[in-house]
Amino acid sequence: MKKYNKITPEGTSDLLFEECLVRRYVEKTLASAFSSRGFNEVVTPGLEFYDVFDPDFSGIGQEVMYKMTDKRGRLIVMRPDSTMPIARLTATRLQSLPKPIRLFYTQPIYRNNPDLIGRSDETVQTGIELLGAGGIRADLEVIVTAIEALGQCVPNFRLELGHAGFFRALAEQLPVSDDLREDIRRAIESKNYAALNAILDQLGNSKQVMAIRRLPRLFGGEEVFDQAAPLCNDEKSTQTLAYLHELYRSLAELGLGDKIIVDLGLVQRNDYYTNIVFSAYVEECGDAVLLGGRYDKLLGCFDSPMPAIGFAINVDAIAKIILERGETFAILPVDILVHGETGFEIKALNYASDLVKNGIKCENSVFETRTEALNYAKVRGIGRIDIIGDTVEIINLT
Amino acid sequence: MKPLRIALTKGRLEKDTVALFEKIGFDCDAVKNKGRKLILPIGDNQFEVVLAKAADVITYVEHGVCDLGVVGKDTIMEQGSSFYEILDLGFGKCKFALAGEKGKDFFSGYSTKTIATKYPNIARSYFESKAMDVKIIKIEGSVELAPLLGLSDAIVDIVETGSTLNENGLEVIETICDISARLIVNAASLKLRKAEIEKLVELMEREART
Repeated sequence: MKKYNKITPEGTSDLLFEECLVRRYVEKTLASAFSSRGFNEVVTPGLEFYDVFDPDFSGIGQEVMYKMTDKRGRLIVMRPDSTMPIARLTATRLQSLPKPIRLFYTQPIYRNNPDLIGRSDETVQTGIELLGAGGIRADLEVIVTAIEALGQCVPNFRLELGHAGFFRALAEQLPVSDDLREDIRRAIESKNYAALNAILDQLGNSKQVMAIRRLPRLFGGEEVFDQAAPLCNDEKSTQTLAYLHELYRSLAELGLGDKIIVDLGLVQRNDYYTNIVFSAYVEECGDAVLLGGRYDKLLGCFDSPMPAIGFAINVDAIAKIILERGETFAILPVDILVHGETGFEIKALNYASDLVKNGIKCENSVFETRTEALNYAKVRGIGRIDIIGDTVEIINLT
Repeated sequence: MKPLRIALTKGRLEKDTVALFEKIGFDCDAVKNKGRKLILPIGDNQFEVVLAKAADVITYVEHGVCDLGVVGKDTIMEQGSSFYEILDLGFGKCKFALAGEKGKDFFSGYSTKTIATKYPNIARSYFESKAMDVKIIKIEGSVELAPLLGLSDAIVDIVETGSTLNENGLEVIETICDISARLIVNAASLKLRKAEIEKLVELMEREART
């Protein structure tokens, strides 16, 4: 039988040395940015019941979840997302906590991606959730935290801002079936102008149709709000646009205007976001490195309705970018190799412990002879070897 | 500024796209006299053309190593992926169709039908939308052979004029959808280089219509 004991499954990989250093650096930097803003860490299980991620409200297709059964035959999955488990635990175990609740996490998610397209099935994400708070103050708090945290790792990113409710308000007025409305949504989401126009051409030339037709092109800076204003002809879309503009102005006042792109074509994605949605892009990466938004309906699925907003950052993608930018995370050899002559092993161990206590990085030699120890130090590039016998002999190798 | 990188599907779509670029006024000599090079400058070094197989165009754009791509709707439907499909270029027109032996009622009877195709994903989703269970067999070469040899009841394939079908005693049972060349864009590129990309798209759209 063929054995697969020397390779890892497709979509997974080992992380070695500087890859680990960078990943831990990113995790630590982001975690400290979150905790200094009052967010507290939680860890949720790697295995959860399938029902927590019910595709009807999670938008995660059942085909992308790694599934198995528990001891009683119930369907469980490897966590494909961290927001749903956090909604679950907030709705159950944190019910009595005063609101708002500020949580953050750093943990992998698992997705069974199609093969041979070069995607990871295991991705470390870190993110925050602000639960039990709605309104512009909460939205600003989370967006500013996102910009501040991401900026500490990759300074030159752009944050895209949209509102899932804007398309909803416009589409509600179209005299079409739900199926067709979904086709329209999908065409706008993929900026498929050809498909969108093909659908809209059959719907006449009402003001609403014209507005939807313009939607995928409505992205850019503050000018987008002026372009969009004449397209709003009902209270809901006008209010949504005004809200987004207010948010934009506040961010501009904070000096973040040049980082923000407004995209009114960011329609409600196939997920749990209901109001503002945002994502961040970096030049080196073809995918968004941060995804977030407000999900005011999700907690209701766990029978504890409350407004909530959060985002997740792809730690692996950020770490890869930092490594590629060539920022130095070199693995250095230890400062000193300690070698005890025969009969002085205990003395050598004590000597090494003293060095470590003084903040010096050292390795204790496990070789029988000093020749072997010397060779090892040379190969490893260790600059100094201390030979412990009756006396201590210090040999500098550099 | 880095040039915008455009992946073109080698062959007919490449020629049609180059013709479109020349109509716009871009200097395409490097692409026309390419030799064995695979990355070629066009225009005033504002753009770089990458020549690739259709499926690879999608892969390169999806991963963001190319900003834009020109690829047939058939490949997009078969590979289905995440990127923006912003322009129907109007050339490379043909259609996907279900075809079988002339005069035979494909939908009659209750036995599970066997379908031969080069496009298993398209065939699968087409029959899923009809709530029909079928057995799909992937064929690499001339799919028309499969029903003639008795391997399948029908085929799902690209039809241009229908003459190959006709000469082999086959006919279109149902058109699945129309196909043409599309301009696709990586999501991050469109956000980060909006002005440049929109300008190019506008030029291409204007010339593609005339």
